[in-house]
Amino acid sequence: SGVLCCSLPSPRNVHFESINMKNVLHWSPPEGTGHGVLYKVKYLVYGVGKWIRKPECRNINRTWCDLSSETSDYEDQYYASVKAFLNGMCSDWIETTRFNPLTDTKIDPPMVSVSSTEKSISVILTAPEKWKRSPEGESISLLQVYPGLQYNVSVLNKKTKKRWWFSISNNTLVVPRLEPGTPYCVSAQIRVTTPLLHSALSKEYCIVTLKDKTA
Amino acid sequence: TAGNRIFHFGHCRVSMSMTEIRLGFTAIKANIQARDPVRTVSILSHPHSLHKFKSSDRCCIAHHLFNFYVDKVFKHCKTEDSYINRKISSIANSFLSMKRKLRQCHEQNKCMCGEESTEKFKQILANYDGLNVTSAAMKSLGELDILLDWME
Repeated sequence: SGVLCCSLPSPRNVHFESINMKNVLHWSPPEGTGHGVLYKVKYLVYGVGKWIRKPECRNINRTWCDLSSETSDYEDQYYASVKAFLNGMCSDWIETTRFNPLTDTKIDPPMVSVSSTEKSISVILTAPEKWKRSPEGESISLLQVYPGLQYNVSVLNKKTKKRWWFSISNNTLVVPRLEPGTPYCVSAQIRVTTPLLHSALSKEYCIVTLKDKTA
Repeated sequence: TAGNRIFHFGHCRVSMSMTEIRLGFTAIKANIQARDPVRTVSILSHPHSLHKFKSSDRCCIAHHLFNFYVDKVFKHCKTEDSYINRKISSIANSFLSMKRKLRQCHEQNKCMCGEESTEKFKQILANYDGLNVTSAAMKSLGELDILLDWME
């Protein structure tokens, strides 16, 4: 009669992976199942009365589902759940823990642009943007989401291997009293004090200070 | 203490160690939220989101919420895990000190509530009263990050 009995093992490790609030649900296949497993996904806004199916993730064989659109309001919190199907059998629904986009996302490093004079380096930092539905969509910098956002900036003299660290709130830094004609490398990291978040360190951006014209 | 910050609630200013509270909550969040099986009811965020309260009522809402957590939540959140209990009492102590600081300002009439916000806060109490005390307290504790996010 087509009634599915839920004796299939459940999907495992159902969790959100979030970067700059691009929130993607991931899971692992049920134990001991090979190919051919299909999945369904539903989600719920915490505190609101009903689970909502995600049509684009119905009867899929991949083990991820992008729920960024459905979880874009970071003033809310969410649950998501996955069910597996194989050969007429199905599993129980397996849920994530409660997902808070504001505290549970990872932040990319800032973009770094560097320019130099003879004895100084200027650094301009740009925080990543929050995920948006489409390229034409409104750009929201993570600076607007996390007003307490700060930058840790490292400046390395490649000749002497001397390194300085700066912690700044605004997005520009001028490092004075440097050596002319010398290579310096800059990398930067984002830090949010509360909620406690920090990005990885960016790659190094290197530049050589101009030669001293009077020398 | 580390991570102390001045919070402005209307005319009232309260210094708080938000980092300490956040770290404490992050350490117990998964454990506490796992004890709350009810997904479809929230104490703080529905039907009215804290973020939709009038900014002019921020002070009074904060005053009410600090009292709510100290008087109705922390004391009903005993667990069988001593580590969790220690973290809860550390957060409770921070809230107790915030409650005292805000009360002084509240008593100088700088922290009044508008009618709309009073009604919304009554909804929070109704959400709480809709569950048995232990479940309501544990759910409220599991929603502490909703309060902290709003405060920041």
